[in-house]
Amino acid sequence: MRKWFQKESLTAWMFMFPGLLLIGIFVFWPIIYSVPLSFTDYSVISDTHYIGLKNFRRAFHDHDFLISLWHSMVYIIIVPFIQIFAILMAVLMNSKLPGVKFFRTAYYLPVVTSMVAVAIIWGWLYSPNGIVNYVLMSTGIISDKIGWLSSQKTALASIMFVTMWKGLGYYMMIYLAGLQAVPKDLYEAASIDGATRLQQVVKVTIPMLKPYVFFCTLISMMSAIRVFDEVFVLTNSSSLGGPGTATLTSSVYIYDRGFKQFDFGYASAMGLIVSAIILVFSIFIFRFNKKGGVNPY
Amino acid sequence: MIMFALFMTGPFLWLLSVSLMPGENAFSFPPKFLPTTIKFDNYVQVWQFMDFPNYILNTLIIVVIGLVLNTLLSCLTAYPLAMLMFKGKNLIFSLLVATMIIPAAAGMVVHYLTIQAFGLTNTYLGVVLPSAITVFNVFLMRQSYMGMPGEIRDSGKMDGASELRIWFQLVTPLVKPSIAVISLLEFMAMWNNFLWPMIILEDPKKYPLASALTFLNGQFSYNFGWIAAGTVISVLPIIIVFLFTQRYYMEGISGSVKG
Repeated sequence: MRKWFQKESLTAWMFMFPGLLLIGIFVFWPIIYSVPLSFTDYSVISDTHYIGLKNFRRAFHDHDFLISLWHSMVYIIIVPFIQIFAILMAVLMNSKLPGVKFFRTAYYLPVVTSMVAVAIIWGWLYSPNGIVNYVLMSTGIISDKIGWLSSQKTALASIMFVTMWKGLGYYMMIYLAGLQAVPKDLYEAASIDGATRLQQVVKVTIPMLKPYVFFCTLISMMSAIRVFDEVFVLTNSSSLGGPGTATLTSSVYIYDRGFKQFDFGYASAMGLIVSAIILVFSIFIFRFNKKGGVNPY
Repeated sequence: MIMFALFMTGPFLWLLSVSLMPGENAFSFPPKFLPTTIKFDNYVQVWQFMDFPNYILNTLIIVVIGLVLNTLLSCLTAYPLAMLMFKGKNLIFSLLVATMIIPAAAGMVVHYLTIQAFGLTNTYLGVVLPSAITVFNVFLMRQSYMGMPGEIRDSGKMDGASELRIWFQLVTPLVKPSIAVISLLEFMAMWNNFLWPMIILEDPKKYPLASALTFLNGQFSYNFGWIAAGTVISVLPIIIVFLFTQRYYMEGISGSVKG
């Protein structure tokens, strides 16, 4: 018995070895290695010195970094909107209307398209002569052309809107999966007990969707804080994002410091700060979730 | 619902329309929604200007290496976690789950240093390696393997099959829908990845399509038609793949999320 068990252990580790090795190198190592790196002035070009907490102190006095953090926080506003729209869409898509398959595909298209292509399309839609201005002007919502991406006031919101547009389909699919996992007899039982359609939604559907809402909120919040691609391509990657620092998010700033200025030590320190913030948010959501449901996975 | 579908697909239709317009057409205000004359000039010109076959080939190389490695490694790693008994199983699994919650925002810097240490900068392997296995996919595959009855393994054992054979020939064919899902997710991620290739590949001739497109966008922002045509060319393959596989994809997603 013991021998058999040992043999099985050996096989298991052999199976997992290549995968775990790669996960070790590309998932665990960056987390571990960022820590000592953040205490140095490592920069490729010159010698490396231990500089203690200087990078962290620098970060909290760095106006651009604080602005980028603030923008990353502002970005979280889209999370509840994504959830609400995605759930609504999923409920619609879960019905047996004709052509539902077509609509599912239509909603999912932005998800499969590369961010570069999406950014190119929206870059034009947002341009002063673009369709966004045309539609808003002909419906009388605005009276003058707006350079959506070139104006300090609108640039960040415009990019947030693109993120929402691109992501909706993904979350819709997860909610759709959640809706289809609700056992049919729960609805039958409810209707036998005389529950109205609305009561069924409130008492059956919503509680059953809870773990999915938790999962989607967590994922979308993390990606909102980490947002990079949209900002990078829509603001043309030339400067610190958009007009001035109007769309500078923390990932863009870290990238700029790390790969444009080769200030790896400082970039690592900022990366750790952002990771810590996301961790706090995740713990918060986990706590909040304790009351209801489990992780869908 | 139709309004919403139009809102989601409208930008694509407009892109297609612009790509078919002769140059001067696209700049007018109010913007033209449909081209006055349909011309394929933009496609011909951009195809001649940018070496598309080269970029498509680059993309295919990256996608194929990435896809094969990721699917294989994710399945190999997930299988023992679901079906075998060994010491440290729970520890390994908890560690993996933890990495999904802890984000590594600074990861890119360290990834670059690692790839550099391996001497893999400017190679496709360097592009692919950091995503050659994803914890998320291991997770999904473990979930699917867990749904398999242990008797399949026992019967394989009885017939004297090796563990590798049981895994490859008996159990894995049964989780095909989940494999379809992770392959598709990986296909899309690899196809659309633009930043990491730009960091690792020093030679722009080695760029995949998505990276090459940022390049085109930066250089020719005045030439609407060309960029539109180039974008359509880059988007088309993935949309076609998605249209043909969406049935498996959607079934698979509901299957694996449910768990």
